[in-house]
Amino acid sequence: MHIPDGLMDPSVALVGWVEFAVAISLVLLVSGRKIREQDLPRVAILAAGIFVAQMVNFPIGGGTTGHLIGGALFAIIAGPYMAILGMTVVILIQALMFGDGGITALGLNALNMAVIAPLAGWGVFGLLEPLYASGGRLGRWAAAAAASWASVFIAAAACAGELAVSFAISGGDFGIAPTIAIPAMLAYHAVIAFGEAIITVGILAYLSDVAPKLLSRKSAAEKEGVPSFRGSRIGFSAAAILAVFALILPLYFLYAAEGEDGLEQTMSDAGTGEGSAMFVAPFSYGESYFAALFAGMLGFVIAGLATVAILKTLESKNGEG
Amino acid sequence: MGSVGFWRKELRIGLQDDRAESTWLGRLDARAKLVGILIFVIACAILTAPELVYASLVISLGISAVSSLRPAYLIASYAAALPFILLAAFSVTITVGWDRGALMIARTSACVLALIVLVGTTSSFDLFAGLRRLGVPKVLTTLSLLVQKYIGLLGQELSRMTTARKARGFRGGKSLLDKYALRVISNTAGMVFVRSAGRADRAYEGLKSRGFDGDLVGWRQTRIKSGDLAFLSVLAAVSISLLALQAGLIA
Repeated sequence: MHIPDGLMDPSVALVGWVEFAVAISLVLLVSGRKIREQDLPRVAILAAGIFVAQMVNFPIGGGTTGHLIGGALFAIIAGPYMAILGMTVVILIQALMFGDGGITALGLNALNMAVIAPLAGWGVFGLLEPLYASGGRLGRWAAAAAASWASVFIAAAACAGELAVSFAISGGDFGIAPTIAIPAMLAYHAVIAFGEAIITVGILAYLSDVAPKLLSRKSAAEKEGVPSFRGSRIGFSAAAILAVFALILPLYFLYAAEGEDGLEQTMSDAGTGEGSAMFVAPFSYGESYFAALFAGMLGFVIAGLATVAILKTLESKNGEG
Repeated sequence: MGSVGFWRKELRIGLQDDRAESTWLGRLDARAKLVGILIFVIACAILTAPELVYASLVISLGISAVSSLRPAYLIASYAAALPFILLAAFSVTITVGWDRGALMIARTSACVLALIVLVGTTSSFDLFAGLRRLGVPKVLTTLSLLVQKYIGLLGQELSRMTTARKARGFRGGKSLLDKYALRVISNTAGMVFVRSAGRADRAYEGLKSRGFDGDLVGWRQTRIKSGDLAFLSVLAAVSISLLALQAGLIA
């Protein structure tokens, strides 16, 4: 899933860099207050472990193999901030020391594998907390399997989307045609993600048997104030999933700004237009990419705040009951 | 996927630090190399005019030729990026035309080759110290240095475990339904984590005892020399010229 230089449309690569810069700055801001110098070796060894574990190929069938990405595994063991930080370093080393993945594409590669994959994995694992809380060891492994499958699949979907958007907005100069990129990436990674799920559960099961301290509820990292998955609540997990959607949003708008939606296209084909509106809304989507992006982000934030408000109201009502 | 075998080979020979120091490019200041090649790669990645894309490929091949890097290393590194390049070229060829497909191969190859030269001629320590001195946050560069050090140790550990597995008759399994194979692979990966956890603190203490204070800045105090400036200026001038030609600013 490592995108090389020259494959992506420059504007898509730039969006990837900007998004990654914002994400890693936020993580550095939040974790910078909590991470201490003595935590660095632990995060580094986990990152190195993920790097090396990525070299262990597993069989897929038909003579092909896949390998671990490890975003969900890292997040489950160390929490989302440390996972994003550690996976970023893994991607940086792969690009700068092994030439695997490009410099201009580093933003997108890091966004997919170091931000989206751990966040999606951590979010899904957290949302399935009731499953593993009531289902014991089996429930916990089922939640971990679902989380790791989702992390790989969502990261691959983001990558496929980026390739398709590049192709669409550059008129074929960059990217990969959506008809090839989306089915190929999704089909291949849906299978690889099963391998990721099995290996992740296998590693967690092995660690819980051989080195339970690494997975204990009060791990060393948690004691030292490093945020970890197990200390989180479902609300934070939902926020992680929303953050993944928010990260994909600007790339979607690069593509969406180019065309009409299905109804508009149908109306245009039928030769009909919109009548006079009974209600004039205070905002519009705008004509340019940035206006549409701003409208989209505004809508996203309003919808998010409304959801939080509703959840808070329900929580307080339940508390009273 | 194709890169995994290459990483293994690289880890077996102990990353590329020894090789990097022995080339003339390896002796240049890492900051000049990082910025120069970054500017060149960005320019190459933006180019769409066929003659300029092919010109950038020729320049990249020229840089690779004078880099003193072994052809086997260049080919093996290039092969790691090949699956993505070929998939992209194939999709462009069948949807737009073979000329665009060829252009895609030329553009991505120009970028990849330039990056390989940077990677192959810069020791890991110089690379991270260079990034730190260019303003990359301390946490990222320090973590990168530590991860790079640990990867070498763990890669050797993995290599030993893989040999032991083979000696016991393990051949990698056939499919995702092969429970035994997946259990062996999971246990191997799990063992990497367990062994690595034990080594982390010792390795860090070793660094501290050699004067490491958590930041790379103090460890490299080199100055930009005229040779570094010349390298940076030539690459920047070439990159700007290519972009100016594409934009029609130069006839």
